Amino acid sequence: MSALARIAVVAENTAREAVRDKLLYNLLLFAGLMIASSVLLAQLQVGYDERIYNDVGLATIAFFGVLIAIFVGINLVYREISLKTVYAMLAKPVHRWEFMLGKYFGLLGMLAVEVAVMSGFFLAVLWFKSAPIYTGMLWAVGLIYLELALVTAIALFFSSFSTPYLSAMFTVALWITGHLLADVRAFGQGPDAEMVRPVTEFLYWALPNLDRLDIKGDAASGLPIEAARVGWSALYAVLYSGVLLVLATVLFRRRDFR
Amino acid sequence: MSNVIEARGLRKVFRTGFFMRAVEAVKGVDLDVAKGEIFGFIGPNGAGKTTTIKMLTGLIHPSAGSATIHGIPVTDPRSRQGLGFMPEGTYFHEYLTGVEFLNFHGRLLGLPKEVRRQRIPEVLELVGIAHAADQRLGRYSKGMRQRVGLAQALIGDPELLILDEPMSGLDPVGRKDVRDMILSLREAGKTIFVTSHILADAEMICDQVAIILGGRIVHHGYLDDLLGEEVEGAELVVESIQPELFDELAARARRSVPQGGRFLFDFAEAADAEKALDLVRERGGRVRSLTPKRRSLEDLMVSKMEKEAEQ
Repeated sequence: MSALARIAVVAENTAREAVRDKLLYNLLLFAGLMIASSVLLAQLQVGYDERIYNDVGLATIAFFGVLIAIFVGINLVYREISLKTVYAMLAKPVHRWEFMLGKYFGLLGMLAVEVAVMSGFFLAVLWFKSAPIYTGMLWAVGLIYLELALVTAIALFFSSFSTPYLSAMFTVALWITGHLLADVRAFGQGPDAEMVRPVTEFLYWALPNLDRLDIKGDAASGLPIEAARVGWSALYAVLYSGVLLVLATVLFRRRDFR
Repeated sequence: MSNVIEARGLRKVFRTGFFMRAVEAVKGVDLDVAKGEIFGFIGPNGAGKTTTIKMLTGLIHPSAGSATIHGIPVTDPRSRQGLGFMPEGTYFHEYLTGVEFLNFHGRLLGLPKEVRRQRIPEVLELVGIAHAADQRLGRYSKGMRQRVGLAQALIGDPELLILDEPMSGLDPVGRKDVRDMILSLREAGKTIFVTSHILADAEMICDQVAIILGGRIVHHGYLDDLLGEEVEGAELVVESIQPELFDELAARARRSVPQGGRFLFDFAEAADAEKALDLVRERGGRVRSLTPKRRSLEDLMVSKMEKEAEQ
């Protein structure tokens, strides 16, 4: 049996577990309500209807996607270890890296369905209100998905050696910081910040720069989005996720299941 | 006879607490488990049984020493191809049904679809939970979970089974079923490495045992050699005896226990029991039973534990 087949088996089981988690449906329900509420919000500010549908829709997909990636994702790995279900799996001819990749791709599969469902809600609102659908918004949803893939890799990295609470805290902290790195860098480049500049530069280059993947604003305004910008951002997300997965599997490989 | 499991100087040191204090859980274990035998790995809680098993199954990395399964180092996942492992206190994916669960584990082993389709009902039948095949594991009782844990260990028809406390949590009928299953697996040519804290069960099924105490194997060998054939005392049950005779017998016995109208006397030497038997006959009492006592696995383990405590 090939490694790919074993990864697929673990991934399928992970997706099955996630799909049977009630938390996922609660979060999706709230996301649907939030997207639908954009119709009411648009009535508060006349003339910005389309912008409000787009802003609320894309922001909801990103925010609930991250919530699901962090809380469902971390729980799925931690539960395998705390409930000892991992014992019977790893006592089979399964490499630990195969297990980790299986968990990761299973989560990505679940996130793909979840982003598709939320995008469906969003498109339904646009269709219902006869609002235009810009190509940029599809790119934006694609990059939101890659951001979720990166956040999932961060969550998996932390949960490979830490408790779920700490993993969630670290991941949320990194997600917030990842969206503020441009500001952190700008702070270090100020005239009175020479002392901290090496630190801010290091943080800017070392931490995941999630702002690179955020084109929601331009997409919601209907501005043209260059394919190269999307391509480089996508490559960045894939490479960064890859490095995190390698680190996660190295740490997981060294772990003792006591 | 070829060895299915071989371990030499297996050690495990854990680092615990804030100051990462070193705790040596397993202190140089050697094991030779021959093909086709039931090997009992026994010891009290915290002796190092589960840590050793986890090193053999790749769940814990040994700090020193080496171990092989079918000649392949346990650090190589290929060593687990012909292995079925049932962990202690089995917890499995509660959202899966019995069939889905076994299908998942069968797929992890790379069993083709046709084999899984044939094997899953067979194994469910064998462990006695065919009626719950389509129930979610979350609804299984403790005993049923134990059985489905055994089923996942058997799904690949492995040459070697490592069972960590397979009888724990089962009622007497369930324990007998598992014991019979283990014996029939040996008849089918399988090798079984089993831990049990229920020593009477281990004594009934094991060919060879190793006693582990404080991370070290303190005794190992074939059960007949370890326990021997010699009689170690006897228990005499009598009734209708005078109080004077009771006092006399009680003075000779290790232990005397009134049981309603009967009295049980436990003698350290078989010869003392025979003398007591003569006395009861002479003085008009009635003998209900005389049972010679052989050394049990429990006696052996307790004596080893006492020796360890003295050292």
